[in-house]
Amino acid sequence: MDKLREEKLWKFLMIVSLAIVVGSLFMVISVIVWNGMPALSLSMITQTPKGGYYLGKEGGILNAIVGSLYLAFGSVILALIISLPAALALQKDYIGKTRLAYYIRLSLDVLWGTPSIVYGAFGFIIMLYFGMRASLLGGIIVLTILQLPIMIRSMEEVIKLVPNELKEASYTLGATRFETTSGVVVRQALPGILSAVILAFGRGIGDAASVLFTAGYTDSLPRSLFDPVASLPLAVFFQLGTPFPEVQQRAYASALILLIIVLALSIASRYLSRKFAKNIIR
Amino acid sequence: MKSHISIRDVNAFYNGHQALKNITVEIPQKKITAIIGPSGCGKSTLLKCFNRLIDLTDGASVSGKIIVDGIDILNGSIDVTAVRRKMGLLPQKPNPLPMSIYDNIAYGPRLHGKPDKNELDRIVEKYLKIAGLWDEVKDRLKSPASKLSIGQQQRLCLARGLAVEPEIILCDEPTSALDPVSSQHIEQGLLKLKNDYTIVIVTHNIHQAMRLADYVIHLYLGELVEHGPANDVFENPKEERTRAYINGTILTDLKIDKEVDLKGNPCPYNFVLAKQALHELSKGKVLKLVVDDPLAVTEVPRGMEADGNEVLSVKQINKTDWEIVIQKTE
Repeated sequence: MDKLREEKLWKFLMIVSLAIVVGSLFMVISVIVWNGMPALSLSMITQTPKGGYYLGKEGGILNAIVGSLYLAFGSVILALIISLPAALALQKDYIGKTRLAYYIRLSLDVLWGTPSIVYGAFGFIIMLYFGMRASLLGGIIVLTILQLPIMIRSMEEVIKLVPNELKEASYTLGATRFETTSGVVVRQALPGILSAVILAFGRGIGDAASVLFTAGYTDSLPRSLFDPVASLPLAVFFQLGTPFPEVQQRAYASALILLIIVLALSIASRYLSRKFAKNIIR
Repeated sequence: MKSHISIRDVNAFYNGHQALKNITVEIPQKKITAIIGPSGCGKSTLLKCFNRLIDLTDGASVSGKIIVDGIDILNGSIDVTAVRRKMGLLPQKPNPLPMSIYDNIAYGPRLHGKPDKNELDRIVEKYLKIAGLWDEVKDRLKSPASKLSIGQQQRLCLARGLAVEPEIILCDEPTSALDPVSSQHIEQGLLKLKNDYTIVIVTHNIHQAMRLADYVIHLYLGELVEHGPANDVFENPKEERTRAYINGTILTDLKIDKEVDLKGNPCPYNFVLAKQALHELSKGKVLKLVVDDPLAVTEVPRGMEADGNEVLSVKQINKTDWEIVIQKTE
C-alpha cells in the first residue's frame, strides 16, 4: 500500500512539472500572439521602416528579419565549420583523454555560462582596436563565438554515444582513424549533430545583447558585410521601449515572427533528422 | 602442415594484469584453428593481438612477435591498416555500420581503391552469395543494415569482412549471440571458406570446436596448456587440464566450501536461501547449489551476478537437477 502511495506521489509530481512547462510555454506564446497578431500584416514583413515608423507611421521590419537571418545563418555556418572538427578531436581516439581536452571542456563550459553581453563588450573592444564599426561581419563573428561552446559540447556528447563496436568494425576493415571518423562516426551521430546546430541557431537568432554593439541597428537593408545590420531581438527591444501602444504592438508582432522562424527551422530539422536517422544503429 | 601465423613469446598486459603468458604456437594455413578455454583465459586477447585491435584498448600492452607472411605484425613501425586488411573479423555481436546493406559491403573496397559502380555491384553480389545472404536481401540492398535480423546481420558482417579480400578470418565467439539456426548458417559458411582462408575461431563451446576445428589451442588463465590437431586433442589430450575442460569438469580442482541442496524450493525462496548461504561465507569462497526449478537455472545465476558475485559454472547433472557454482567476490 505504501508503495502504491509512493507511486501516486511521483506521478502527481511529474504531472505538476509537465503542467508548469506546458503552461508557461502556452502563456508566453498566447501573450505574443494575442498582442502581436493585430499588428501583423504583409507590410510588416515586406517593408523597411519609413520615416516616423517608430511614432506609429507606415513601414515594416524587413530590415530586422533580413538582418537576423543573415546573422544567424552566417554565424551558424561559421560555427559549424569550427565546431565539428573540434568536437571530433575531443573523441577518445584523438585527444579526448588528455589533460588538454579536460581544460578545453572546462573552458567551453565556462563560456557556455557567460552572459552574452560580455561577448558583446568583448567584440566591441576588439572592433574598436581594429578600427571597425558595427557591422554584419562583426555581429556574425561575435555570435559564432557565442555559439561555439554550445555546438562543440552538444556535438561531443552525441559523438561520445557512438558505440565502440562500430568504430572497431571500421578499423578491422583497414580504415584509418580519419576514415572511421568521417565514414562511420559522423554518419551515426548525424541526427545529434543536427540538433546541436539547431540549438546553437536558436541561441544565435534570439540573442540581443551580443549584437547590440557589434552589429548595431539600422533601418535599411545591409548591402555588404561591412554595413551595420538590424536584428529581430533588438527590434522588439526598441519598439517596446516607445510610449506608443501601436508601436508596442508591433514589438509583439516582431517577436511572433522570430518565433515562427525558430519553429519552422525546428520542424525542418526534425524532418531532416528522421531522414538521417534511417540508417543509424540503435 | 604449413604455418600461416606464428606466435612467439607473446605476453599481453592490461594495466599490469597479465592476460597472456609466453604464448608460442603456430597457426596452420587454410585450416580452422579453434582457440578454446573458459571465459577470461585470454582467448579474445590473443585474437585482438592478431589484428592489433588491442592497440585501441586502454592500458593494454603486448610484447613478443607475431609473424604473418614474414612480417612481425606487432612491430610498431608497420602499417596497421594493411595488417587489419589481411584479417577479417567476425565479432561476438554483429556490428553493421550505420548505412545500407550495399554500402556495408562496399565500405571496405571503397577504402582501399576506387572501384567503379559495376565493379562494386559485382563485389557486393559475390560476397553476399558466399555468406549465404544474397537470396534474402537482393531486393532490398538499399535498405538499412540495421533492419536485418541478428543472424542476417552476422552473415552481413562476414560478407563485409570478406569483401576486403583478407587471407585470415578471425572469429570471436561468432555464434554466441545467435539462435541455433543462424549459428548453423555461420558454421556452414566457415566450413566452406576454409579451403581459401586461414580461419581462427575463439569459442567456449566445445561442441562447436569439435564440429569445426582442424587444429586446437587450449588456453587457461593466459597460459598455453595444449595445442595440436583436433583429433589428437579431443580424443587423447596430453594434459589433464585439457581433459578436464573437454569433459566439462574444469572445476574439479576448485575447492567447494559449501554445498546447499535447494531442490523442491520454488522461486524466489531458492534465491533467498542461496543468498543466505553465500552471506555466511567469506570473500573468495565457493558455494555449490543444486536446484531443480527450471526458473532458478537462469534467474539464480543472474541475480548472483547482479550482486557482484562470480558464477563459475551452471551445469545439468541429471534429468531434473542443475548444479550452480558461485564464487563470492562481493
